[in-house]
Amino acid sequence: MTKHQLPEVLAPAGSLDKLKIAVLYGANAVYVGGQKFGLRTAADNFTLDELREGMNFAHERGTQVYVVLNSFLHDKDLEEVPEFVKFLEEIGTDAVIVSDLGVVKTVRAHSKIPVHISTQASTLNSESARIWKEAGATRIVLGREVSVKEAGKIKREVDIEIEMFIHGSMCMAYSGHCVISNFTQGRDSNRGGCAHSCRFEYSLEGLDTPEKKKAYFMSSKDLEGLRVLPAFIEEKIDSLKIEGRMKSHLYAGTMSKVYSEALKYYAEHGDFLSDDLINWEAELSKVSHRTYTEASLVEKAGADSIFNERENASDGEWQMVGSVIDANPKSGIVIEVRNAFNQGDELEIIPFKGPAIKVVANEIMDLAMKAVTRTRPTTLVRLPFVEGVSSMHLVRQRGKA
Amino acid sequence: MKLTSYGRSLHELNILKDQGFEEVILEPKSLSRFGKLSKDEFLALSMRAKELGLRVLLEWDILMTEDVFTAKLKEVNDYVAHADAVRVQDPGAFGWVVRNTDRPLQFIAENGNHNLPALEGWVDLAKGRLERLILSIELSKTAIEGYVQKLKVPCELLGMGRILLFYTPRPLLSALAPEKMTMNGEIAALGESEESPHKGFPIVENAHGTFMFHIKEFCLVDFAHELRQMGLGFFRIDQRWDNQLLAEISGLVKNFDATGFETFKEKYTQDLMRGFYLVNKTDVLFPKLKNSRLQKREGDYIGEVLEAEKGSHLAIMVKNPKGLKKTDLLKILHPKGEIFESKIYSLRNLSLEEVDSVAAGNLAIIQFIGGVWVKSQVFYQ
Ligand code: SF4
Repeated sequence: MTKHQLPEVLAPAGSLDKLKIAVLYGANAVYVGGQKFGLRTAADNFTLDELREGMNFAHERGTQVYVVLNSFLHDKDLEEVPEFVKFLEEIGTDAVIVSDLGVVKTVRAHSKIPVHISTQASTLNSESARIWKEAGATRIVLGREVSVKEAGKIKREVDIEIEMFIHGSMCMAYSGHCVISNFTQGRDSNRGGCAHSCRFEYSLEGLDTPEKKKAYFMSSKDLEGLRVLPAFIEEKIDSLKIEGRMKSHLYAGTMSKVYSEALKYYAEHGDFLSDDLINWEAELSKVSHRTYTEASLVEKAGADSIFNERENASDGEWQMVGSVIDANPKSGIVIEVRNAFNQGDELEIIPFKGPAIKVVANEIMDLAMKAVTRTRPTTLVRLPFVEGVSSMHLVRQRGKA
Repeated sequence: MKLTSYGRSLHELNILKDQGFEEVILEPKSLSRFGKLSKDEFLALSMRAKELGLRVLLEWDILMTEDVFTAKLKEVNDYVAHADAVRVQDPGAFGWVVRNTDRPLQFIAENGNHNLPALEGWVDLAKGRLERLILSIELSKTAIEGYVQKLKVPCELLGMGRILLFYTPRPLLSALAPEKMTMNGEIAALGESEESPHKGFPIVENAHGTFMFHIKEFCLVDFAHELRQMGLGFFRIDQRWDNQLLAEISGLVKNFDATGFETFKEKYTQDLMRGFYLVNKTDVLFPKLKNSRLQKREGDYIGEVLEAEKGSHLAIMVKNPKGLKKTDLLKILHPKGEIFESKIYSLRNLSLEEVDSVAAGNLAIIQFIGGVWVKSQVFYQ
């Protein structure tokens, strides 16, 4: 029996496919962006039709959908918001995620959609949460500098829903307080144009010692909060957010699955004292990431939270092979191949629940049923049908050295 | 238009007084990002400023997590009691000042707040207590002009000084060189990256975190007259890193002369820029950031080509709830923008059976159409 209300797992959905994957792999809620007003300009954002379809798909499976409007909008951008917001209300959007007071006011003037304050607003304390509540917000996505204990206090003092990041890449800056791209690249990072200057290697003059002069000193390790889950529950945090609308299908699926399975285990057992903890951690490490840190979830992030390495140094050992397009005894398992694999390779097909299904690709055929020994990306291939495999399952393989 | 600036010593207070300033911003080390003043120094300067007839503005501009905020509340009243107004940036400090003090409030709206409803919103949330809004330097002059005219409270703008690019609470320099930490708890460095054309970003770490500034300083001295005519309330001169030319800058702001300005620029050690004052186009590159393949798909969209096997077939993932019928006429948009039109001559399902239609969510296999690639988008004609 669970003693506590469990937080929702809120997964990123950078596209309609990723939304479906996140929902099917167990996310309780997803967040998506339309073609405008979000912070991921280069992402495969949703068209209006896709928003409608994604909303229906998620709602039919009991999953909530939040739409990001979290750019710092200029007046001319703001003019287009009312029409979009009316559309979002009509299709049943569960909340919008906003970081600018002007957008909060505009959303509230044109709809009754609940407003969540984005982490971009860097809400860090209860007085700040109180102000946003007064402005009409129903939930605060706290800044990543806030510890879980502090978050619990904010929730108790202000009586408002609290969402915290549990996993993913992190801005090194207080969110919304970095304008490097704006002034050095002419791209507004707070309207979706961040050039990731914090990931560059810098030469630092004034720190003398030659071996310390070159450093990725502004780059943050990635957040991973699996072992902090009991604290989130203890402090009654409402929602656990996974960063990464730009990340892969494998990422969206794995994160949704691991965190929702871990919480489900807690619901059944009242603790996380499980052999599965090691498995969940292993799953998280299989996805491409920088070295993990708990950042400020427990104690203030210090020197060891800096990722002073070239990018990709800590990539997961596993890579996505593709996803299952269809699976039935007649046509076999049809895989859309993203990364090539060969006859005889060991693959893992990840079901929506439970352990991975191991498959050895001894017999590969193309769509026209001709035998294949080596697959190519952007093609479709068939493997013999295996019980338990269904469409939308993700397929991965241990990376080759 | 009035001038405002910072004071860190009796000498600076005297300069401000001599230059006709009516106020001074005082920054306690414990509450302000770049503050240097201990509590005693703050109190002494505050007293002296008042004797000189300068209004004292307390700068409380750090961002604070809950625990830091709680700790700061133990001492903030000591400062508030000696200030004529309080300047804050954390919305928490904003709310606390409104609810717990009788001091006028100045809100540093320099991050975001690039639209009128946002700025008006802060005025409303302050419930009549806001005496000034400090605007973002990312605003264009057209925006500034509109806000100054429409807002019910006076506005302030940085007119001359460093541009803060980045603020984190994490200790980034001491992590690399802890031995370089000075007695007053600061480390400074200059940063450059091969991936950026700019060299020499000033970086400072102190008790509040790590800050990086632009290599050039922001300067609207040559537009001071224009800003005055617009009705800007306060023009801020920030010379906290080198105050030698404070008097000269304020002289130029009050009485601009082009030759004097040129001479000033020659001796000023930093290059100057006016940021986005004339126009802010920091979103014009966005269409180029978007993958054109992804600019797509409203209305008659059927789905995407997942496989294009030359001379054999196209495999289309059908996404439209209407499905794909053998009688449908297709328009296919190649990832590079080329458009192909075609009838369907052969429509098969995954089991390679000829069918009349394929429902949404399934793969449709049609004849190969020359020139069409994987990732092409398929529409009803
Ligand atoms: S450059 Fe880095 S710190 Fe700045 S907005 Fe981009 S990701 Fe965040």
